[in-house]
Order: sequence, then C-alpha cells, then structure tokens
Amino acid sequence: MKKITKLAIANRGEVAVRIIHACNELGIKTVLLHSEPDVATIAYRMSDENVCIGPAKVSESYLNIEANIRSAKSVGADAIHPGFGFLSENADFAEACVAAGLIFVGPRAESIRLLGDKISAKKLISEAGVPFVPGYMGDDQSVATLILEAKKIGFPVIVKAAAGGGGRGMKILRTEAEALELIPSAQREALGAFGSEIVFLEKYLDHAKHIEFQIFGDYKGGCVHLFERECTVQRRHQKIIEEAQSPLLTDGLRMQMAKAAVTLAQKANYEGAGTVEFLVQDGKFYFLEMNTRLQVEHPVTELLLGIDLVKAQILNAAQNFVLWKQEDLVPRGHVIEARIYAENPFENGIPSVGKIGALYFAEAPGRRFEIGFEAGDSVTPFYDSMIAKMIVWDETRERATQKLLATLDESFVFGIHVNFEYLKAILTHPDFVSGKMTTQFIPKYFPNGLTAAELSPDERAFAEHALKNMTGRVSGSSSNPWNFSWRVV
Amino acid sequence: MKKLTFEIDGRMLSGFAKNIDDSLWVHFGGKTFCHPYQTQRKDSRKTSVKSGNITAPMPGKITKILVKVGDSVEENQSIIVMEAMKMEYSLKAQVAGIVKEINYATESQVTLGATLAVIEKVT
Repeated sequence: MKKITKLAIANRGEVAVRIIHACNELGIKTVLLHSEPDVATIAYRMSDENVCIGPAKVSESYLNIEANIRSAKSVGADAIHPGFGFLSENADFAEACVAAGLIFVGPRAESIRLLGDKISAKKLISEAGVPFVPGYMGDDQSVATLILEAKKIGFPVIVKAAAGGGGRGMKILRTEAEALELIPSAQREALGAFGSEIVFLEKYLDHAKHIEFQIFGDYKGGCVHLFERECTVQRRHQKIIEEAQSPLLTDGLRMQMAKAAVTLAQKANYEGAGTVEFLVQDGKFYFLEMNTRLQVEHPVTELLLGIDLVKAQILNAAQNFVLWKQEDLVPRGHVIEARIYAENPFENGIPSVGKIGALYFAEAPGRRFEIGFEAGDSVTPFYDSMIAKMIVWDETRERATQKLLATLDESFVFGIHVNFEYLKAILTHPDFVSGKMTTQFIPKYFPNGLTAAELSPDERAFAEHALKNMTGRVSGSSSNPWNFSWRVV
Repeated sequence: MKKLTFEIDGRMLSGFAKNIDDSLWVHFGGKTFCHPYQTQRKDSRKTSVKSGNITAPMPGKITKILVKVGDSVEENQSIIVMEAMKMEYSLKAQVAGIVKEINYATESQVTLGATLAVIEKVT
C-alpha cells in the first residue's frame, strides 16, 4: 500500500470538483493547480489549498508539466490526478510525476505512450485481431502527402490529432479543396491543444454509432469491463449526449466488443480507468481509439452499475483497491448524460462567455449534476465551453429521457447562453427516441443549430409583467416588435 | 432565487426573472429568454448578414488570415480563422467582392463584434 494524504489536481472546472468530492470522502486533502483566471470557480473555493501555475494560456499553465509538478511538490502533495483533457494522456507528464516522487493517478507512462498514441494503439489492436477503420498513419506529415493519402482512402476522410481526443484537431474532409483548407487547420488545433501537430487519416464511416467500453485494470494485473456507453450524438466530434446501455446493441456484439476492449487493455498491461472507443456500422465494430484516462461521461457508467470510478482510480493508485468481480457488475435501468455547453444554440452554437448571473439545476431523485461554476463566476474564452453535466437514471430509456427533459425544463442559467433548448430538440427527435441515431444525426438534422421561435402568449405576458415589475419598463413598441426585443436563449 | 407569480387574465403564472447588465432574464414554462432593454446593442449576427463586414462572433484569437487586401473573394469563401474555447471557427464572406480592409494580424486577441475585415460588394 502507498499512502496518499494530499492529492494535487492538475485540472479545472467540473472534473476538479468531482475529484475534490472523492478526496473529501476518502479523507485526502486536495490542492488545486489552477491558472490565473480560474480563481472564480467552484473548485478553487472547495479545495483545501490552491497554487497558481501560470496565466490563462494553457501552454503556460495547464499544459506546463514543470509548473504542475513543482507546484504540487511545493505544498507537499504525494499524488496528482490529471482529470481529463490537458495533461491526462501525456506520457511525459506521467513519467515526470513518478520521477518527482509523486503518485500519478492514471495508467503507467508506457501504457499511455502505447495506447494514447492512436498510431501505435492501432498496431497493438491489429495484433489482437480487432478490426479497425482503414486509414493513413505515416510519418510523412506534409499537407501534400496527407491529401494524396486521403484521395487513396477515398472521401469522406477524417483527419485527427495523433496525440489527443475530445474533438480538437478533428475535421471531416469531403473534397480535395476541403482537405487543403482543413488539414492545416487540424494541425494547428492539434498543436495548440496537445503540443504536437501530428495527425492521421481515416475512412469516415457515414452511418455508424459511437459505442465505447469502459474498462478498469487494477495494480495487480486484473482487468474488467464496465459495459458500454453510446455517445453517438456528436457535433464536430464533440460529444453532446451519452447513454448506457446502448439502445440497439445486441448482446452478442456487446460481448464481442467487451472482450476486445479487455484484451487490448491487458495486452498493454493497463492500470486504472480507460475507455476503448468503437464505431459500429451494419453489425460490425471497428476500433477507433483508446482513451487512457477518466472520461467526461464516466458518471453514466457510475449510475448504471452503482460504482465510483474516481474513488476506484485513487484507491487503485494507492494500491488499496479490490477490483470488482466481472459477474458482480450488473447494469440496471438506463442512464443519460447531457453536456451543458456555454453556447448559443440559436446562433449555430457560438461560444458564450461572461458572468453567470444565476444558475439553478433542479434537484430530484435520480438526477446528478456535475458543475464547475456558480452564480457570480465568469466563463472565460480560454477553455472548453462545457460548464456542467446533467446525468439522470431511471428504469427505462423512455423514462430517463422524460426525466432529463423535465430537468432541463426546470433548470436555468442566466447571464450566458447555454444549450438547454438544443438538448431538448435532440432528446425529442424521432431518431433519438427510436435509438436509431448515427454520428450523422447532428449534421443531418441540426446543421445550423436551432431557429428561434416567437414567444407564446403566456410567455410574452409573463415576461412583460416581470419587466414592468422589475424595471418599470415596457418592451412592446411599434418600432420594436416582440420577436426582436425578446430573445429565446 | 425567489419565484415570481403574476395574476394575468385571472390565471396565476409563475417563473423566475433577474436583471443582469441591462438585460432582463426570464425563465418561464421551461424556457429561458432575455430582453436587452437598456442599450440598443448591435447584434453582430444581424448586422453581418449579407454585409461586407466580417465581425468577430465571439471573443477569441485570430489564428489565420486567408486573404489579403485587394483579393477578390466569392460568397461563402473562408476569410479568417478564429479560435475560441480551443475550437477553430472559419469566418466566411457573406458577399462576393474585393477585400478592402483587414484590421487585425494573426495571433491578435479580438473582442465580440470587432470588425475584422471589410469586403466591398461587387454587384
């Protein structure tokens, strides 16, 4: 057993809050390693100690390995949890933590290197006999070569950052002209987000479902799968809705995919929480990538199985953990997660920044919220626009959907725009209701976000009364018709 | 926040409302909407529709400028690439014409609504 008494969090926002909760319950002190602007966040107020690691720019703070390690050491932390994004899949960081005498809450550096790099992960999975999507993963990274290879694979082709996930540095190329514009753009995004501009190409499957398997390996070499999550509803490769179990996956295919995920993890001597992502099309599955970290959507699995993945990560890192028995992991009911993005769905999802004037998430049985900000905090343009997650559990998919819709109706954020109406439009769409959605769902049905509807008579009447009551003003004037003076947000 | 209830035409309607920076934000009947009452703030989206001005739809950084002054551009041609919240957004020409102004350099931080480039419409 190793002793963890003080854990440093090399992350921000809602995942930092999630880790602090786990540590509080385990009796571990927390240190938040934060950037200059991130003092106005819940994690900053909740953690036992804070150390500023640098300015807003991620390359000088959240991606700065040396600053994170030095700051963690300066306050006597004995472990680091990297959360997701930022340095979570950086093998150099994991290695540097260990070299500095810190416990890295995550897989071994060599596993991250092997699996986190999608190119070597593909080599490994092909040895394991698992199918993957045809593509190009060569060393020649010139735009001309990449375009030539894209033409060989055949459009549509997807370009992805070799060093990371989460939608950054990913673009779909449909024509040679698009390839010429978007490959350099993907390289820049990859460099900005992950510090490496290496990209690879893949054939783009155009009616696939995104289904991923959560796995967990313990420090003794055991490994179990924790069933799947379906994350098919994506926009620009950013997940929006995640659920478990997948509504249309057959038990036969599920077991084959689970076996493939565990085989891959064991081949890589994997320790800790990890996710193997697949695309499923026409009854066949293809390996997509492995994320060697906690995922944003981990609460879906936690509610489905009644487990705590973050505590499991920390306890496993402290070598004080008993791995679940595979037969004890039994899914029950249905879980859906909605990611709350600070963006305006009526203006094609443009990011919305500024001060949160009010934030109310309506509590009730079977609802869980992961939130990084509260009223008075500001959402800044420097980081990802996901500010919170809503996760619901109910006995069936239909009831879970109803519960999530009710939660969205009863909750609100004032001061910045959020995607509640967008989420409701997705959840009530016939393709989502039937479970038949593919990764084309958003581009096909919501290519430009939503079109704002006019207010109903009751909405208008209530709004007018509130305006008069609170400001003494009247909105309606002949030069200022209703649909212009009020905006649905 | 306290719930507000108004009697309107003999019915009780309840919801939430708060004044934030010259706007009244309202939550009623499952929807949130706001009314920017004080300043007739220019809506960057509305002014840019079919206009030759390329304005920043959000605060962020200019990562790439794809044209230079004097270039002739097509409608829907990408003019400037911006980055905010770690994602890139391509700003396209709303009209066909000649690039008349480019007001910022690559790597500049720009504010919401800033006029980044002007395209003189060719009719």
